[in-house]
Amino acid sequence: MSSAWNWPLAALLAVAGFFAPVLLGGSPAIYAALVLIAIFAVMSYGLDSIVSDLGEVSLAHTVFFAVGAYVTALLSVRLGLDPVGTLVGTIIAALIAAGVLGLITLRLREFVFSLVTYAVAVVALTVAANWSFIGGSDGLRGIPAFEIGWLGIRAAGDVELWPIAFVLLLATLYVMRSFRRSRLGQAAIMVHLNPRLATMSGIDPQRTRLQVFLFSAPITASAGWLYAYQRAYVSADLLETYFLILMLTAVVIIGRRLLLGPLIGVALILAQEKFWSFGGYVDRIILGSLLILVLAYLPGGLFGLVQALAEARHRVRARAGDTSSQTRPRKADA
Amino acid sequence: MSNQLIVTRRTALLGAAAGLLASRTAFAQGASGPIKVGVIMPLSGGAGPQGQHVTQAIQSMAALINAKGGVMGRQIEIMARDDESVPAVGVSRANELISAGVSVIIEGWNSPVTLAMQPVINRAGILDITAISKADPILSGEGNKLAIRLNSSNAQDGAVMANYIANIAKAKRVAFLTQNDAYGNGAQASIEAELKKLNYDYEKVSEEKFPFAQADFRVALTNVRGARPDVTIAINANEGLGMPALIRQASQSRLPGQLVAAVGTIAPSVIKIAGEASEGLVGADIYFPDVEPFASNPRNKEFVAKTEEMFKYTPDKFMALGAGALEAWAQAANEVKSLDKEPVANRIRGGTFANTIFGEMAFEPNGQLKSRHYLFTVKGQKLVVDTAKG
Repeated sequence: MSSAWNWPLAALLAVAGFFAPVLLGGSPAIYAALVLIAIFAVMSYGLDSIVSDLGEVSLAHTVFFAVGAYVTALLSVRLGLDPVGTLVGTIIAALIAAGVLGLITLRLREFVFSLVTYAVAVVALTVAANWSFIGGSDGLRGIPAFEIGWLGIRAAGDVELWPIAFVLLLATLYVMRSFRRSRLGQAAIMVHLNPRLATMSGIDPQRTRLQVFLFSAPITASAGWLYAYQRAYVSADLLETYFLILMLTAVVIIGRRLLLGPLIGVALILAQEKFWSFGGYVDRIILGSLLILVLAYLPGGLFGLVQALAEARHRVRARAGDTSSQTRPRKADA
Repeated sequence: MSNQLIVTRRTALLGAAAGLLASRTAFAQGASGPIKVGVIMPLSGGAGPQGQHVTQAIQSMAALINAKGGVMGRQIEIMARDDESVPAVGVSRANELISAGVSVIIEGWNSPVTLAMQPVINRAGILDITAISKADPILSGEGNKLAIRLNSSNAQDGAVMANYIANIAKAKRVAFLTQNDAYGNGAQASIEAELKKLNYDYEKVSEEKFPFAQADFRVALTNVRGARPDVTIAINANEGLGMPALIRQASQSRLPGQLVAAVGTIAPSVIKIAGEASEGLVGADIYFPDVEPFASNPRNKEFVAKTEEMFKYTPDKFMALGAGALEAWAQAANEVKSLDKEPVANRIRGGTFANTIFGEMAFEPNGQLKSRHYLFTVKGQKLVVDTAKG
């Protein structure tokens, strides 16, 4: 498709997306589901930049998600800051956490990197469940409704939160698209695919990894920021495997480095969980099996599978065309 | 920037109006049909069997209420959902039930799940009754100013356990095996606070903490055994997996002293799984179907018979709490002739209800059900109540 059509098409999709709750019936359950899809998609995009672009599997992204939620809860409950203030605090805290984690894992690769990030998540879970300053095992309660008085915005329920979640999602999509076209995005993919070539091209792999971490963390943390307002309660469960498995599956299931991949992935997972649930056990088996299937047999995700099937079909048609063009003259000869 | 936000807000209002219209239409359609009652319990995972039992007890109580004319002349329809013991899933299920137009939600096995669901249900203006979850912040009013809970509070339980340690076991060396979450830590803190109130001189010789889902306690038990406790208090709400495993492993490790289960953590199903290892285990609880004053209570007999008929299972304390929650709500709604949250909640909080499965049910002004505790010992895989020590 011509690039001239890209922006009008994106604008059309954005408008359709905004009215999606109304188009789907407008029930509170639809709003609640779409707000969660938007929040968890934003959460997954942070991880997407690490998995798809940097080529590493971070198991510590729940930490950034939790940092966003906890900072929001602390700043809103104890200092009375509004969502703008808590968002600024969230981004600063996420950058600090990412800086520390990025420096620790600077020289680590592949399974050692994953192992260390997992250990960080375990430490964070233990700290969150036991540190009374952040509520310990009771968590933090009493988070006020999303309200920016000087803009006249108040969102107490999911219906009012939808526009905010949607704007956050659109902003994330724009940032991810810009990242992949930026020098940092290009450098990240080169460091991922050919570190030696990257070094020979004057790219510092360690600096690039740190920069991608610093880019990624505020995205996931901003999802935690909005989730804190949506749920009005923050506790150590944010660091448990539910969110980790959700974002990992969402990132790989459709296909890596696809702009809409994590969004569609989260939408599929949550739609199954909310509207076609087979109960806790079966849902977990479905999610786990999907993750195994995609990681083991479908490196290109479901999109890669569709592409492979389309190519196979195209080849079969082409062969059929060749055969018929070879047989036709013989018929004519006869 | 501000223009963009104003447009966003207007569109949000349009969306809100559409949502409100849809929900009002649903309400109008449902006004003469059955009253929907939401139930959110863990139906899978470690607490799944117990959550299923509680849901069944609520269904059998609904059958009894429906047989007597229902609530305000309408039948009750139970809509059960699985929270999977995960707070995020619980919130999703609560949103589903709110959208389905339920009049009340009876929830809560796991305290963190209850604490996560409370603000969501509260903001939707739906009455929220917590059946089992014990954490003290549930009644703090932060998540729900009109909170109601049936299971005994950590503070009530702490007093019973402290009384056992100080006055019955007279234990000087006390160990704790505690679930590391809002419930477990609160329960242990309450026991220690009550021992302090009694001015009792004892030594905490060991303290081991574990997550809700843990099933292997061998390392923790080795540490506790090395501390040679007179009494070990086990605080574990994972009745389907964790508590039976803990009891079995404590028996295998030849743990010295008396193993005591925290109040309300031992259902007959736990004893069934733990088997002979549970012999001699001490605990305390607030309801036993076949012990006075419950055994001769006609309403309780009716409930036990109905549950046995429908589900081939004799109800335990957890099941009675779930059924009691529905029973109190139904009586309150019938009396105030409303399904609205505020009048029904205000009738229950600080109110009393006669002729229930607990006999007379009385609630504190903060929504906590008043309850009497009974100590028991496991003998021949049965809970034998010692009414003299209760």
